[in-house]
Amino acid sequence: MLRMTNLSKVYRTHMIETHALRGFEIDVKQGEFVTVTGPSGSGKTSFLNIAGLLEEFTSGEYILDGVNVKGLDDAARSRLRNEKLGFIFQGFNLIPDLNLFDNVDVPLRYRGFNARERKGRIEDALAKVGLASRMKHYPAELSGGQQQRVAIARALAGSPKLLLADEPTGNLDTRMARGVMELLEEINAAGTTILMVTHDPELAVRTHRNVHIIDGQVSDLVRHTPSLVDAGAATAGATA
Amino acid sequence: MFAYYFKLGLRNLRRNPALTALMVLILAVGVAASVSTLAILHVMSGDPIPGKSDRLFVPFIDNGQPDGYVLGAEPVDMQMAYPDAMNLLRKHPAERATAMFGTGMSIEPPRSDIPAFQAYGLAPTRAFFAMFDVPFLHGQPWTADDEARGANVVILNRTVAEKLFGDANPVGQRLIMNREPFTVVGVLGDWNPMPRYYKLIGSGPATGEEFMIPMATAVRKELTPYGSVNCSQVRDPGYASLLASECTWIQFWFETRSAFERAELQSFLENYAGEQRKLGRLKRNAPIELYDVMAWMEVRKVVGNDTKLSAWLAFGFLILCLVNTVGLLLAKFSARAPEVGIRRALGASRREIFQQFLIETGVIGLAGGLLGLLLAFGALALIGMQSRSMAAMARMDWEMLGLTFAISLCAALVAGLLPTWRACQVTPAIQLKSQ
Amino acid sequence: MEIRPILSALLRNKTGPILVAMQVALSLAILANALHIVNERREVAARPSGLSDEAATFYFSVRNLNQDTPDQMLATIKRELEVLRAVPGVASVAQVSQMPMSQSGGTTSIAADNRQQRESGYAATYFTGDSMVKTLGLKLVEGRDFHPQDIPEVNEQTNAEVPTLVIVTKPLADKLWPGAPAVGKTMYFGTGSSATGAQVIGVVEDLISAHAEIGETGIFSLIMPARQYGNGGAMYAIRSEPGQRDRVMQEAEQALRKSSATPMILRIKTVEDDRKDRYRADTALSWMLVTVSALLLLITCSGIVGMATLWVNQRRKQIGVRRALGARKLDILRYFIVENVMITSAGVVGGVLLGVGLNALLVSRLEMARLPLVYLVAGAIVFWAIGILSAYGPAWRAASISPALATRST
Repeated sequence: MLRMTNLSKVYRTHMIETHALRGFEIDVKQGEFVTVTGPSGSGKTSFLNIAGLLEEFTSGEYILDGVNVKGLDDAARSRLRNEKLGFIFQGFNLIPDLNLFDNVDVPLRYRGFNARERKGRIEDALAKVGLASRMKHYPAELSGGQQQRVAIARALAGSPKLLLADEPTGNLDTRMARGVMELLEEINAAGTTILMVTHDPELAVRTHRNVHIIDGQVSDLVRHTPSLVDAGAATAGATA
Repeated sequence: MFAYYFKLGLRNLRRNPALTALMVLILAVGVAASVSTLAILHVMSGDPIPGKSDRLFVPFIDNGQPDGYVLGAEPVDMQMAYPDAMNLLRKHPAERATAMFGTGMSIEPPRSDIPAFQAYGLAPTRAFFAMFDVPFLHGQPWTADDEARGANVVILNRTVAEKLFGDANPVGQRLIMNREPFTVVGVLGDWNPMPRYYKLIGSGPATGEEFMIPMATAVRKELTPYGSVNCSQVRDPGYASLLASECTWIQFWFETRSAFERAELQSFLENYAGEQRKLGRLKRNAPIELYDVMAWMEVRKVVGNDTKLSAWLAFGFLILCLVNTVGLLLAKFSARAPEVGIRRALGASRREIFQQFLIETGVIGLAGGLLGLLLAFGALALIGMQSRSMAAMARMDWEMLGLTFAISLCAALVAGLLPTWRACQVTPAIQLKSQ
Repeated sequence: MEIRPILSALLRNKTGPILVAMQVALSLAILANALHIVNERREVAARPSGLSDEAATFYFSVRNLNQDTPDQMLATIKRELEVLRAVPGVASVAQVSQMPMSQSGGTTSIAADNRQQRESGYAATYFTGDSMVKTLGLKLVEGRDFHPQDIPEVNEQTNAEVPTLVIVTKPLADKLWPGAPAVGKTMYFGTGSSATGAQVIGVVEDLISAHAEIGETGIFSLIMPARQYGNGGAMYAIRSEPGQRDRVMQEAEQALRKSSATPMILRIKTVEDDRKDRYRADTALSWMLVTVSALLLLITCSGIVGMATLWVNQRRKQIGVRRALGARKLDILRYFIVENVMITSAGVVGGVLLGVGLNALLVSRLEMARLPLVYLVAGAIVFWAIGILSAYGPAWRAASISPALATRST
């Protein structure tokens, strides 16, 4: 589904170079539910941005669902993003001036579906997350958990191949967080590949596997929770 | 706290110089436009003789032809015919009365180095000077005797007197006018009522008439009336027939002792009109009108349509500038939400935030007023180029100066109300979190 | 085109859009009316006077300071005409009673039939003792000019003769006798049994009146034959050869002064200056309106740009999210342009209504003319264009916002 080979991302400002990712490798298969963990500044966000085609990378290769991303212009990347990916953000990022229906509608409009198709998809998506009855409400009227579910509906409405989630439970209490995770697991069970960035070690263990990034590189491919002791060993054993 | 906020306001002006400059400029332009047109309106429509304007009256007796006359139609001319003027002067129904017409005479100066020239003057009756509080630099009005005889006496205006006689007192000196010797009996002081309300029809030079001679003298010399002569019927040629005809060319004023005597004067005139109708005149049977100074200026459209248009335009322009300023202030203040959040977290109440931002708006208003004042002077200069009479009117006095700042300040404060109120609504918590 | 969601979002944040729409509406209303007035005044000031060479025409008002008898005055006039004609460079001289656009002159009421209830209008009364048609270079389109034998000598103090022949202007002829030739018809000086008439012997294309009034009265003029004397002075119109006016003016003045034993008062005016003076106020008003219009456009522009920039800045995160969800740069650009067009359109509609209302007020209170629709239409187009152009910059900057903004944690 998603394969990055020897990927590097360098930020250059004046005379300072920051290597956010170096020699990064990852291979996510269709149908997997993969979490990406790592301390702050490890490059998780850069990885997510590049995976989501939100940023360009400096060198290496990235193939998304069989399409080589290198060399695509902005319009093509936007198209790819629109058709193949779904996004869920930590801060929900719903548009406050639009009601739930119109919020879920946003990516569909860029897809070019006709009005009937869009309506159908939106209603289905909202029903799937259990918020169909509140279609005409505004985000401000919803709780955090509900807002995130709308965001998920928005991500799903276009039937994406890959769902990218950036700390989706970061702003939620434990009860809501659990609800969102259950929803994501349902979606994954239904066949959507999910790549989730998270801080929370408890979530990391629930998924198929966990990729741990330290200093811009993948440090661990094993499905376990890195403790303080192991973190040290993991760093020492960092592979190229 | 006021001084603190004032200082803050000044400092914040410099923070975003481009936006601030734009705001101040737009406000200034709107203020300048309004103030300059207001200044002219103020001069044009101001009471030229407060204290007396409600007891000086112009009578209108319509002596036009009855054919095709519709009641209420605008009269062709509002001057008076000679017979009516003489009758009314003789009957003396009010405290004072004067009749006048404009004319021109050639003046041959006593000094040989100045060539002969044509001068524009007024031929009023004696009461004119007392009625209109005309100031004298030298001498005084001609005597009743002079008037009765139609003597060759003249009063000069200050400019002409200085041109002909320098700084010396010319009273008693002689002057050749229309080839005859005239004796100077007085020199007018600076008298520039704006507008020259005493003679609104066929107005003379914008700087005032150059000489005044008794009306009786002008008639005796058969001087052509300058200005406007309106004859609704064909008349015989010659001056005598002009005097006897129904042609209107005389302007007339009454002065009553108080405003209350107006009704008395009105009924007197109506009786007079009735008498005249019995004699076969005044065939139109039109109602008699009496206009006090302000009403007369209104009816003669002293404040012309173009001036009113300019005033409306300026007002509309100011509103546009106001709306624009509201938008710009919204933009400016919305960027300050973090600052407001912090201030509120540190203990400022909503009211204090309101005060702070309103005062900041006030600072902008003052800056706009200052710039607007400069621009207004420029605008007045431009407007003055229209005509010489306009140039005399396009002036700024202390009242207007104060008004400039008042308008600018008020406009800014009004414009600032909404943005300031919005600024107060900022919730500290949200702002602090987003840092 | 996502019109409904854009509209819905706009309605949730009404303040900014309303402010912009108000500015557009106000500006459009004022601009349409202002430019209409400017055009009107320009047309008034551009009216032809009828003179063939305004730049070469001037006139003297002469007043002799001697106690002549009327006959002596007549002789003086004839002598002065000779003197003037002898000045080199003078193409033609005529004694006249008033000059076009001089703001000093008489009018009379006129009628096609003296049994009419109301007069047909008012016309300027030009008297000439020579050929005003030739001197001013007026264009005869029907009939003929006066012959010398048509011109009586009239002592103004004693002579009660009324003119029996008259030359009229074409507009006047068209009003009194529409569709028919005017030559041979009788024109009456007013209504009523005592009103006398004169026979029309010629029609000139244009001759503007002395006061150049707006409307009919300004273009209705009569030329009547009379050598007027007896009031101690005369007015002479002079046309010089093209381009020689100033020199001829000087020489003519000298020649005239030299020809008189007694001092004379001489007032000189050129037709060019008269035109400038007559229309000075209109020209000044026009300039003021043009200045204000330009300022209006600038201010409205700045208002639109300011607002658009503000919204872009306020919605940076949202724009990033949209891009993340698949919007291309073009989609973002289009979003802002559409949003702006909506607001501008609301302003334009408001402006058209306001403009019509303002015009109604001007017509009823300030005696101005009705506003033709074309000004509002043109104004609407201008403001639409301004709206789109002004919003383009901020919209372009919005489109350049990186989609990575969506994942940033604020």
